[in-house]
Amino acid sequence: MTVDATTKIEIDPLTCTGCGLCILSCPADVIRLDEAAHKAVVAYGKDCQVCYLCEDDCPEHSITLSHDISNSRRFSTYDQFGLKI
Amino acid sequence: MKSTEMVARETDVLIIGGGFAGSWAALRAAELGARVILVDKAYVSRSGASTLSGGITTCPLDSDDIDVWAEEFITRGGYMCDQRWTYQLLEGQRARVKDYESWGVPISRDAEGNIRRFASRGMINVRGMQYQPKVAMRELRRRVLDLGVVILDRVCVTELITSDGQWPTSGSVAGAVGFNVHDGQFIVMRAKRTIIATGMIAMKGTHRVDNDTGDGVAMAFRAGARLVDMEFTFGGTFNVLMKRYDFPSYNVAIAHGARLINARGERFMEAIDPVRLERGELSQVVAAFAKQMIDGNGPVYIDLRHVDDTYWSDMAKIHRGGSILMSEHVPDPRVHPLPIEPTWGMWASGRSGLQIDLQGRTNIPGLLAAGSAAKNDATGTHASAGSPTAFCNVSGWHAGECAARESLEDQLPPTPTHVFNELREAAFAPLGKPVHEKSADALHDDLARLEASVVDGMVLSGDRLQAMLEVTRDVARLSGEIAAMDLHDLVKIHEARNVAECAGAVYQSGLDRHESREQFFREDYPMTDPSWFCWHGIRRGRDGVIMERLPFPTEGVRFPIRNLDSGLGRIGAIIRGETPKGGAP
Repeated sequence: MTVDATTKIEIDPLTCTGCGLCILSCPADVIRLDEAAHKAVVAYGKDCQVCYLCEDDCPEHSITLSHDISNSRRFSTYDQFGLKI
Repeated sequence: MKSTEMVARETDVLIIGGGFAGSWAALRAAELGARVILVDKAYVSRSGASTLSGGITTCPLDSDDIDVWAEEFITRGGYMCDQRWTYQLLEGQRARVKDYESWGVPISRDAEGNIRRFASRGMINVRGMQYQPKVAMRELRRRVLDLGVVILDRVCVTELITSDGQWPTSGSVAGAVGFNVHDGQFIVMRAKRTIIATGMIAMKGTHRVDNDTGDGVAMAFRAGARLVDMEFTFGGTFNVLMKRYDFPSYNVAIAHGARLINARGERFMEAIDPVRLERGELSQVVAAFAKQMIDGNGPVYIDLRHVDDTYWSDMAKIHRGGSILMSEHVPDPRVHPLPIEPTWGMWASGRSGLQIDLQGRTNIPGLLAAGSAAKNDATGTHASAGSPTAFCNVSGWHAGECAARESLEDQLPPTPTHVFNELREAAFAPLGKPVHEKSADALHDDLARLEASVVDGMVLSGDRLQAMLEVTRDVARLSGEIAAMDLHDLVKIHEARNVAECAGAVYQSGLDRHESREQFFREDYPMTDPSWFCWHGIRRGRDGVIMERLPFPTEGVRFPIRNLDSGLGRIGAIIRGETPKGGAP
């Protein structure tokens, strides 16, 4: 088991205005402001818990989250019992 | 990191954790004229579990007979509660629901405009309402700021200050220290009263509340505060759909009529809880899931073909982005049952935690607690939908009131000043360490692995508990040895230590309990033992951990206390294919 480093969260730099609301929203402190570009950027993507707070709070709808579960620290009982889903 | 300069602040009331419990505490304390600091490692109104709490809360209205509701909480919790707290919870929540209504928090309503209420999961008479927790939290933030509360966002609190500079203390708690997670500023927050409101204890990555790492519970434990019923921290909930996706809310789905069926299409809860079915006590529903798996009847499906229309209309209004069910990633849930599975592990939402009295006071002078960091004595070990958030609202309100009144008649306790420098060095120590083969993430991996299997996590034994305890001790030790790459990493190292220490208390409590009861099942002690009908305390003394058995209070008892549980523990009965005995019908 390892932490899935795949970024589950995408911020569209073309529509992001750098307002910073998503940075406030994130409980896991995943998003930071790129001060030079004045855009929100994903700084710690592997800590995203896919709670959708940033996506909900973004006034420009610039953020897209994968629907995949947070990270690979979850285990499936179906794998343990050899059941294909 | 920009600086590790030290900034000192003084206040009447310091509240650690800015969810429902902490925010209600701040609101009430400020209303009474106290100076209040509210500190959170995230952003108050978007932190912890409150905004993610599924959107069901207990909803007693003026027209309800509180005695009927109280009796159901008390009996379903096996009388393992403080009945005065049960009444305080219900009466307090009536007032909090009215507050949310007057603040304009969106609440699901019927055609006549009345609050639409649902039978709460785990209950028959008790009703909950569906509302928007995100708006409720936003309003709380706005209102505490209006009252002059100082909010310190993105400050990771690392330790409580004690008046004698000792942990555990023989004196009192006198505030806390922490650092800003973005700029590294070290903050000393001296306070006359400190309220722990840091929420539940959960492993990172196994539920969707990754910053509820039991920080305040661990800090209070280090300071000598008593935790109770930690082995009942174990619990589960259905939250994974098709192995890959988060299921938005089991509580909401079953309130609207969703069913669980096995691979044969059987509604298996009929045999275990024919009255409440899928709305039965959650640990028993999860145990029934495990039984289906053991018996080769998996997968288990959530069947949403029977839910009422408001399930879909409310979801569209309340859960804009978050529902996998409304996406194209899964087959149409209006037509196809979808495979669902639970997690099982540390998932304390009031069944265990810091022991508090009716005012929120712990056994340590100057230290209070509220919300899911505290043991919810209103409902005991019984988990029902909505009561954890209700307890957050009400216990926060009472803790804030008590802390404000006491602080206004008290002075700041003196603290040896060398303590602040020592606490700063301890907080930042991992930043100066050489690179270690283990990372902060690896520590959290080790902890999460303890909850890998629903079945193994539910069916415990002395050997298994001891093995898990050893892992937590290793993680706690390693958290003092590994290097932090930056401030973000530093937070995760402190979190790993806190989760490990809380989990250690859970497993130690489980080892001490030589019986099975409620959601705690040991296959080496499968029977219920009447001598364990008590609160089970654990606290740190100077010479090691002290375990205690504490009787339930008899003062203010409205319903004569009875020990309902007997024979094979409820989880054991389900796993062994028997109908659970004892408890309320």
